[in-house]
Amino acid sequence: MHVDDLTLPALVGGRVAVALATDLYQQLKYNHQLASPLTSYLNLQEGVFLFKNGVDPYFGGVFRHSPLFLALFTTLIPTSRTICSLLWTLSDAVGAWALVQIWRARQRAPQTSRDGLVAAAYLLNPYLFLPTFALSTCTFENTLTLLSVMFAAQGSVSPALLSAALLLQLSLSSILLTAPLILLLANSTGPVSQLASPHAFASNGRKVLPLVAEYVAYVAILSLASTLVSGSWAWIPQTWGANITLPDLTPNVGVWWYFFTEMFDHFRPFFLMVFSVHLLIYVAPVCIKFQYDPLYAAFVLQGVLGTFKAYPTMADIGLFLSMFAVFPELFTYLRHPIVTIFLHLHAALLMPLFHHLWLSQGTANANFFYATTLVFACANGAALTDCVWAGMRIAIGQPQDGYSVVQE
Amino acid sequence: MCCRRLAFWACLPLAVLGLSETFHEQLHIRSLPDGKVASRFSFSTILAGAHPPSPHNRSLDDDPQHYTLFPLGLGQILREYAVTEMHLTLNAGKWSYDRWGYPEEDGVGTGAELWAWMADGADATVDQRWLGLRNALAGLFCASLGSLDELRTTSPGFVFAPGALPDWPFPHAIRHASLPSEHVCTENLTPFLKLLPCKSSSGLASLLNPHRLFEADWHGMGLHVSWLPEEGVQVRLTFQTVSDPLRPSNKRDWSFGSLFDRTIQRSCPVASSSEIAVALPFRVPYTISPEPSLVDSGLAIFDVSQMEKPLDVSLHWPQGFQYSTSALAEAPLSIRRTLKGYTQDNGELSVLIKNDQDRSVDVAYLETMPWIVQFYLHTLILQIDGVTRPELLRNITYTPPVPHSRATMFQVIVQIPPRSTLKLSMDITKAFLRYTEHPPDAQRGWDLPPAVFVPLDSEPQRRIYAPTLLVDLATPDFSMPYNVIIFTCSLIAFIFGSIFNYLTRRFVVLQVPS
Repeated sequence: MHVDDLTLPALVGGRVAVALATDLYQQLKYNHQLASPLTSYLNLQEGVFLFKNGVDPYFGGVFRHSPLFLALFTTLIPTSRTICSLLWTLSDAVGAWALVQIWRARQRAPQTSRDGLVAAAYLLNPYLFLPTFALSTCTFENTLTLLSVMFAAQGSVSPALLSAALLLQLSLSSILLTAPLILLLANSTGPVSQLASPHAFASNGRKVLPLVAEYVAYVAILSLASTLVSGSWAWIPQTWGANITLPDLTPNVGVWWYFFTEMFDHFRPFFLMVFSVHLLIYVAPVCIKFQYDPLYAAFVLQGVLGTFKAYPTMADIGLFLSMFAVFPELFTYLRHPIVTIFLHLHAALLMPLFHHLWLSQGTANANFFYATTLVFACANGAALTDCVWAGMRIAIGQPQDGYSVVQE
Repeated sequence: MCCRRLAFWACLPLAVLGLSETFHEQLHIRSLPDGKVASRFSFSTILAGAHPPSPHNRSLDDDPQHYTLFPLGLGQILREYAVTEMHLTLNAGKWSYDRWGYPEEDGVGTGAELWAWMADGADATVDQRWLGLRNALAGLFCASLGSLDELRTTSPGFVFAPGALPDWPFPHAIRHASLPSEHVCTENLTPFLKLLPCKSSSGLASLLNPHRLFEADWHGMGLHVSWLPEEGVQVRLTFQTVSDPLRPSNKRDWSFGSLFDRTIQRSCPVASSSEIAVALPFRVPYTISPEPSLVDSGLAIFDVSQMEKPLDVSLHWPQGFQYSTSALAEAPLSIRRTLKGYTQDNGELSVLIKNDQDRSVDVAYLETMPWIVQFYLHTLILQIDGVTRPELLRNITYTPPVPHSRATMFQVIVQIPPRSTLKLSMDITKAFLRYTEHPPDAQRGWDLPPAVFVPLDSEPQRRIYAPTLLVDLATPDFSMPYNVIIFTCSLIAFIFGSIFNYLTRRFVVLQVPS
C-alpha cells in the first residue's frame, strides 16, 4: 500500500482521538465565530427538546435549523455529546475524502502523490476543525457542498443534484453554487482544469434544462418532506427567511450583523434587499467568465459566500481556503498571497480577543470586534480577488523578460 | 339579531334605568414583624346589577353614561374597549415576603403590571382593544403604560385566573404585560384621587398625603375592575404602603399623624361604609386610641362616620422593640431569583424556592420575558441538595419569543418536597438589539419582569412575585451608524468593484521600459 493511502485514515484517526479525548465543546459552544444562530448546536438541541415536548419549534424562538435536522435528531441520532462529536468528525472525514476525490477527478488520475496534502488541507484547517469541535452544523453544510461538487465532478447527476438540494435545505445562500454545479454536470470537459485554455462552454445547452428540472424536483420533494416533519410551512420564514430578513443580530464573522445593528430603521428593508441581491449578482458573471471551468466558478462562488453571506461562520471561508489545495496551478499567479495570509492571521488572532474584550471583559466595545470582522472581510476579499485574477491570468502564461501582463 | 338583543339588555341597566351605586372605603393597618407598618387603603364603588360591557355593544358608543359615584372616565374606557375584568398595579420597591408575609393585595410586583380579561368575537379583536386600553389607561394615570406593547404582552391565563366571567357565547382571552422600570409617583396619585367620589378632601382618602406615601419603604397603587355576579360591576382602587416608624423614633408606635402627617377631619358623606381596621398585637401589652367601635377576631374596627373628628388612630407599645432573629413572617415559600453569568451574550437564570412546611407544595411558576432574554429549555435542571430531580417538574407551557416582537411565556408546575430547597436553573442567551431598540440609558441594562409563583394547594390561591432582575445587554456604538454604513459599504463596493474589474477588462502584455 502506498504511504499516501494512509494519510487520510491517519488524519481522521487523529481527529477522532482529539474529539473523544477533549471536551472543547464546553468552551466553544457560545463562540460566535464558529457557530451562527443558524448553525449553533445549542439552538439545535433547543429545537429538538421543544419538538419532543410538543411545542412547535418554528413558532418563534431561537431554532432556525432545517426540519431535516429535527427529523434526524429526534428519531435516529440521540443527542449524546460523544456520539455527536464522532458524527461531526466523521462528517469532516467524508468532506476530506470528497475533496480528495474532487482533486483526483480534476487531475483525471485514480491516485496522486498530493492526495494526503489535499486531505490535510481540509482536516487540519483550524477554520474547519474548530467549528466541528463547537458542533456547529456548518460542518454538514461543508460536507454536503463537497459531496455535491464531487458527484458533479464524477458526472453522477442525481447524487450531485440531490446533495445540492439537501444543502439548500440547510442553507439558503448555497443556491449560489447551483449554477456552477449544473454547468459542471452539463460540461463535456468535466472537472479537468481548463484555466490555461479558455474556450466557449463546450456542451449542448439543451442538457441544462433537465438538470435544472431535476434539481427543482428534489428541492420541492425535500421542502415537502420538511413541511411534513414540522407540520406546517412555518419553517420557511424561520429558517430560509432568516437569511433574508436577518432577525438575529448576534455577532459573527460576516459583514451583515453590525451593518444591520446600526442601520436606520427606514432603510433596513432596502439594504436587506441590496445585500441579498449583491450575493446573487456574482453568479452570472463568474459562471460566464469561467464557463470553460465550472469547478473553478464553484470555488470562486464559495469564496463569495464565505465573505458576504448573511450568517457566515469560520467554516464557510475555511472551505474556500481548503479548496485552494485543488487548484495548485494558481499558486504561481497569485499576486499578493503574503498580504492575504497576514490579513487572515491578523483577523483570526484579533477576532476572538476583541470578542472576549467586548462581551466578557467589558473593556472594549462593539467597534473593536466590528473592526476585526472588517479586516477578516478584507482578507477574504483579498483571497477572492486574487483567485479571480489568477484564474484568468493562467491563460496568458509567464511573459518573456521585459514584458508584463496587465489589464487594459 | 341575537347580538343586538344581547347588547340591548346589557346596556339597558346601565343607560336607561339608572343604577344604584354604592361606595365603600376601608383602611387596613397592621404592624409587621420587623417593626414596619403596612397600610392598605381600599375604595370600592359598585354599580349594582350592572353587567360587564359586551364587545358587541360598541355600536352604542354614543349612548350617554350617567354615574353619580362610579368614575366616568374609567366607565368610558371600560365600555369603549369592552373590558370584563382588569387589574392595574403601579408599585415601587420590593415586597419582602420573608419579613412581611403575604400582602393584603396580591399585586405587588415591582413596576407597572396590567392584565385584562376581554371577550373575543367582536369586530375589534382582543389585541386591538388591548392596545386601546393600554393607551387609554396611560392617559388616565399619566403612566408609561403605552410601553406595555406587544414586546411585553403575554397570555398567562392559568396564573392570572379571572374572577367571574359572564356566560357569553364567545370566549374570553387574557392579555398581561408588566413594565418593571415604571414607578409610581405623585403624578399617578393625582389622577387616582380624581377617580374617588370624595377626592382627597374627606374620608379615608384625606390620609393619602403624597409626601408621606412616596417616602415609604414600599408603596403601590392598584385599580381593579371585576364583575361580581351577585352585586354588579365593581371598581376598586387600592393603595398600599409599608412605612417604617422605627426610623424616626426607634419605636414601633404609630399614629395617623406619624404615618401620613394628616388626620381625618370629616367623613366622606357618600360612603356607604367607611371603616378602619387595625390588626391588634398578639400577647403583648399595647394601647390603642381612640376606643374602637368594635373589636373582632384580633381586629379593632373604627366606623369613621361615627367617630369623633378629627380622627387620629394611634397604637402604642409600652415595651421597646426587639429585633427578632427567628423567622419573621409566615410566608409559605421563600424565593430567590437571580441572573448569573458575567458575559453580555449568555448567562443562567437560577431560581431557589425554599419550602419550610412539613408537606410538599405544588407551585405554578410563571416567567414572562421580553424577547431580549431567550431561554434554553433543554438546559432546565431541577436540583435538591445537588441531586437532579427532573420528576418534580410537569406541565410545561411555553410560548417562544419572536425577535423584535413577541414576548416569551414560560410556565411550569413544580413540586417542592417538605423542608427542602429546590434549585431550578436554565441557560439563557441575551439578544443583540438594533441600535434604535436600546433605551436612552442603554448601559444601565434592562429591567426584567418579576416571575410569579402560585402555591396551588392553598385556598384562595395567591400570587407571589419574585423580585425583578436587571440584565446587561451588549450595546453597539450609538455614535457611529453613518461610519458603519460607510465602512461596510465601502468594503463591499471595493471587493465587488475589483472582481468586476478583473472579470471585464482584457489582459494585455506590455513591454516594460527598462
